[in-house]
Amino acid sequence: MTDATPARAPVQSVPRRHLPSLPVSLLVGIVLLAPLVVAAVAGSWIAPYPYDEMNIMSRLQPPGVEFWFGTDEFGRDVFSRTLVGTGSSLVMGVAATALSLLAGVPLGLIAGYKGGRTGEAIMRAMDVLMSFPPILLGILVLAVTPPAQWKAIVAIGIVYVPQVVRLTRAITLELMQEEFITAARLRGESAAYILFHEILPNIWPPLVVEASLRVVFAILLGASLSFIGMGAQPPSSDWGLMISEARPFVEQAPWIALCPGFALATAVIGINLLGDGLRALLDPRNTGAH
Amino acid sequence: MMTAPQARPAVPPAVSPATAPEPAPLLDVRGLTISYGNARGTLRAASDVSFAIRPGEVMGLVGESGSGKSTIAMAILDLLGGGGRVESGEILFDGVDLRRLSPSERQALRGDRIAAVFQDPFTSLNPALTVGHQIAEPLIQHKGLSPRQAAARVQDLLAEVGIRDPRRVAAAYPHELSGGMQQRALIATALGCEPKLLILDEPTTALDVTVEARIIELLAKLCDSHRLSALFVSHNLGIVNRICQTVTVLYGGVVVETGATGRVLSRPAHPYAKGLVAALPRITAERRHRLPSIPGTVAKLSGPPAACVFAPRCPFAEETCRSQPQAMRMDGSTDGVRCWKADALAGTPWPDEDAAADHRPRTTQPRSAPLVEVDHLRKIYGASRSILPWLRRAGTVAVEDVSFTVGRGEVVGVVGESGSGKSTIGRVLLALTEPSAGTVMFDGADLTQQIASGDQTLRRRAQLVFQNSAASLNPRKTVGAAMDRPLVLAGRADAEERRRTVASLLTRVGLPAAYADRYPHELSGGERQRVNIARALATDPDFVVCDEAVSALDVSVQANILNLLAELRDEMGLSYLFITHDIAVVSHIADRVLVVYGGTICEEGPIGRVLRPPYHPYTEALLSAVPRLAEDGHEAPRILLEDASPAPGGRGCVFAGRCPRKLGSVCDEQAPPVHETADGHRIACHIPLATLAERAAVFPELADGDTRH
Amino acid sequence: MFAYTLTRLVYLALVLAVMSVLIFLVTQAMPGDVASMIAGQFASKEVVDAIAVKLGLDQPLIVQYGHWAAGILRGDLGRSLVLEQPIGPILMEALARSLVLAVVALFVVAVVGIGLGVLAAVRRGKLTDQLVSGVSYLGIAVPDFFWAIVLVLVFGSYMKLLPTGGYAPIADGFLPWASHLVLPVITLVLMLLARIARLTRSSMIDVLQTNYVKFARAKGMPESVVILRHALKNALLPTITVLAIDFGLILGGVVVIETIFSYPGMGRLLLFAIQRHDLPLIQATILIVSAAYCLANLTADLLYAFVNPKIRHGMRAS
Repeated sequence: MTDATPARAPVQSVPRRHLPSLPVSLLVGIVLLAPLVVAAVAGSWIAPYPYDEMNIMSRLQPPGVEFWFGTDEFGRDVFSRTLVGTGSSLVMGVAATALSLLAGVPLGLIAGYKGGRTGEAIMRAMDVLMSFPPILLGILVLAVTPPAQWKAIVAIGIVYVPQVVRLTRAITLELMQEEFITAARLRGESAAYILFHEILPNIWPPLVVEASLRVVFAILLGASLSFIGMGAQPPSSDWGLMISEARPFVEQAPWIALCPGFALATAVIGINLLGDGLRALLDPRNTGAH
Repeated sequence: MMTAPQARPAVPPAVSPATAPEPAPLLDVRGLTISYGNARGTLRAASDVSFAIRPGEVMGLVGESGSGKSTIAMAILDLLGGGGRVESGEILFDGVDLRRLSPSERQALRGDRIAAVFQDPFTSLNPALTVGHQIAEPLIQHKGLSPRQAAARVQDLLAEVGIRDPRRVAAAYPHELSGGMQQRALIATALGCEPKLLILDEPTTALDVTVEARIIELLAKLCDSHRLSALFVSHNLGIVNRICQTVTVLYGGVVVETGATGRVLSRPAHPYAKGLVAALPRITAERRHRLPSIPGTVAKLSGPPAACVFAPRCPFAEETCRSQPQAMRMDGSTDGVRCWKADALAGTPWPDEDAAADHRPRTTQPRSAPLVEVDHLRKIYGASRSILPWLRRAGTVAVEDVSFTVGRGEVVGVVGESGSGKSTIGRVLLALTEPSAGTVMFDGADLTQQIASGDQTLRRRAQLVFQNSAASLNPRKTVGAAMDRPLVLAGRADAEERRRTVASLLTRVGLPAAYADRYPHELSGGERQRVNIARALATDPDFVVCDEAVSALDVSVQANILNLLAELRDEMGLSYLFITHDIAVVSHIADRVLVVYGGTICEEGPIGRVLRPPYHPYTEALLSAVPRLAEDGHEAPRILLEDASPAPGGRGCVFAGRCPRKLGSVCDEQAPPVHETADGHRIACHIPLATLAERAAVFPELADGDTRH
Repeated sequence: MFAYTLTRLVYLALVLAVMSVLIFLVTQAMPGDVASMIAGQFASKEVVDAIAVKLGLDQPLIVQYGHWAAGILRGDLGRSLVLEQPIGPILMEALARSLVLAVVALFVVAVVGIGLGVLAAVRRGKLTDQLVSGVSYLGIAVPDFFWAIVLVLVFGSYMKLLPTGGYAPIADGFLPWASHLVLPVITLVLMLLARIARLTRSSMIDVLQTNYVKFARAKGMPESVVILRHALKNALLPTITVLAIDFGLILGGVVVIETIFSYPGMGRLLLFAIQRHDLPLIQATILIVSAAYCLANLTADLLYAFVNPKIRHGMRAS
């Protein structure tokens, strides 16, 4: 009844199928991530040296023409290692996130839709999982058996399941109050139809944004786990592991740590910007709806 | 609690410009143009708006949503947000142009000499600060009072706005107060510094009618006793009639008419004003089922108007109207109209094309056989049986022992205020929530049992039209897809045939068939409500619950939707349960009405009986709170209720706490007996029927012998 | 409020009980056998078995758990196999040091983060806002251990201003004690600052658009009062919750930072225990850290309830 917010209202007539302009942050994010994706896919082909080729003669070389970002304590080319490590680091983040979504979204949907005892049981289990500090939960899962990267992925996936469940459930509960869900119930739709055709299409925009943030956390947590020796194992060139291995030499040869560090920063900033951009893009206020 | 009949406060002594010099206006807005701009274009919220408010005068600024009325109020306060910008014009307050002042000078005026009260008391008070603190703030800021002095003044102010225990209210946090109390606190805040001008932006729109009546009464009294000038922004013509001496009508950001309230509302000159007044449902002797309506949707301007803004919707429009912008034509110093045909149209009413439809026969005569039977329904929310003893709760009673029937083709209105349980009754009838006790029979079968056994057929025969037309459509589905599903579920396999059905349903509710490809956000509010109705019809229901189905719509659109609902009832024999807080709407469409309060039915019967004495005391208060367009001179005393909430679940009458005619302890301790008069008219009250019948009619124009009501 | 607290406490006890079972089971599955570790690498099977019997390791798991849990309830956390000392005192000392780190870091984060967030919200879209989000991006862009290495490199190795690691008890004097805290605290602050600043910014922006802020302006309140009294009081609610959760995170999650700075807190103790397969120490450390984390979460919720008049006065929180 108020007319205090006509700013968002389209003028004259509503333009049909309004295509929003792409947010700047989205474009910058894509520009930052594109080379990383290329490196992740084709790293071992474009790298100037094999990532694990040791050369005692050229240990701890500073950056120069021959070795763009110098060499490490075994004489391995830091740039090549960083390039090849892209895959490992990104896969860790993406796979772990995918895992947490795969487990978390259905659980969250059920908890939100069914409620009652089932929902209660799911949420209480998640509470217990969330009662562990994230890295501790990762360590706890990993300490049982000898470390390996796939185990780190599973561990990180488990760590983030509760967050995904909570978010999914919260959105589902909110949507359940929506009148178009009531309308679906009134025409006699089944629970499956309501979940998959009415709720899911409205749930994925916030989930995409959430997923992009989760990837960032997962990459960082993965790097941390590799750093303390519980993630990727030598001679892998995972970025976290590289930084860990560079630590004893950081005073003589800081470049060994800096190169993967910058790569990590690029990835994280890129994904963050991508997430921000997606949030702006998927905001219903930006699509002509209001 | 009763007050003497109170007509509009007298027009201040400025009506005869020949004898005395016109006093300088307190607020003089000249040529105000406001735009909202963003990347996708600009919207002109106000175009060349001029009006004046003289000292001691209350001016109504009326218009539908999008008319720019709130924007203008915010511009005066220098609180335009969201990219709004004053393009040109002057805002003269006491002779000084506010736009030429520095921001800090304007800030010093705000809250001191110009004070404001906003629409929604629930969100206008800061939840983290006590009410007293918030009232004291401007006193300390503008008047230099010490906190102690301010606290003492706060007590006086709260007492002045009719709060009984100022000490408790001052120490309370906003959420501890009812809406009416919160709005009183806001008014106290505004009065604190003895302002000269009040900006009232829809101050009662978020409140229940009985509370609204008291707040309006209070505002009228205060404006009178303090000789305050006020700008009263409202969409409600009845309220404007109660409190404003003059009124300015806005359409699409343009002033179309201005003048003395009585003249504008009884003899509107501009076609838009004529339409607005005609489209308003009202309680009159002659019962109408069709309202005159204004076709089309509200205009939105992006630049200076190139033609008459109202021309696309105006039945009197000619070529000149569509090619030339209209100038304001003043008649004397106060009356003006922006229409070159105004003189020619004087005395011509808004065309009433639907009048004939009133006499069309209905397919089903009301009350032939019951379709829905509700028996001793009870619903409790939030009951909890936890193993932890301190978490066990008995729950809140939403509906307490309610029984009624809805006949085939009958329209049953459910009238009540917020918290009366009226929406819960609707939800139980649609099997959206299970009753805690009692039964709901639908066409002879137990609804709850049928749903529990997984049988959805009954459910499809009962549908719902929602209040919020935007939220009830999935934003990611086209209109066609939303209407296709019920057909699929009904087992209609042929996609082409379903497409044709969707098209015919859309045509049925007055929309182009091509709308099937549109998304909800591409439609206007009225169009979405039509889609809602079309979707409800897609399951081929017998029974439709309309839950505040027209409450969120503008008057002109509301009339359209009410006409459509009446038409569908007549032609398809639908039964409606029409849930609303608006008695005028119910008296217009319902055959029978249930008046609910605190989860119980306090009165029910044919609409004509309920509108005439004997009344239940609550019905009487509710009716007397209805703001009216025409002052008929012999108005019944206005009954004002205390701000208090019903306490359902107790032993006595739920209304006892607010009842102005309470007999004594019997009302608190015993459930009221039900008096039955003719035609199934029932009143649950301890007061004997004969005593109830002695009361004067709130609407004396409804003659006793009138059979149509 | 009282009923709410009581419920949460009952609930906390339940969660801790479930957690202790989980921790016990997981550590049982870990490689390393307590009896053979005590006996030493070259002990015969008979000796190992004898030790196992003496420690009750031959009994069913549930009985072992019962012994362990009963011990904890009595305040006995067991003995460390590697350090050959009772775990209680070691753990408490490490916990105290971690607490110091957490409290100092949290204080800095709260003051700087809220300040930056409010500044960015008030100057929304302007240069200040962009600078603040730029700086906060930097903080979260790189993992904490990378910052730690850079800080060690710059302030320790090159500038030789601060110690690069270790810990000095406050008994050695305030300056040595404080100087050992500077770098770990900066690292933690960099890691947590971004979230607090961005959260405060966004909730502040939301609050600045509310009706009550508009009404405060309509009352003619100066902008400083509108922001600090009317807006901030409400905008801080979510920030307070996250700050308390961060406190738990610092306590439990600083394994990496404590390792890099050789700071003898809970995190380093845990990593030490895992690397040396000291099962009783692992169990005790994880349990205490997780309990601290839960307590911090509980404090967050109670604090939220307390500063929110809606919950504090009457209404129940669910």
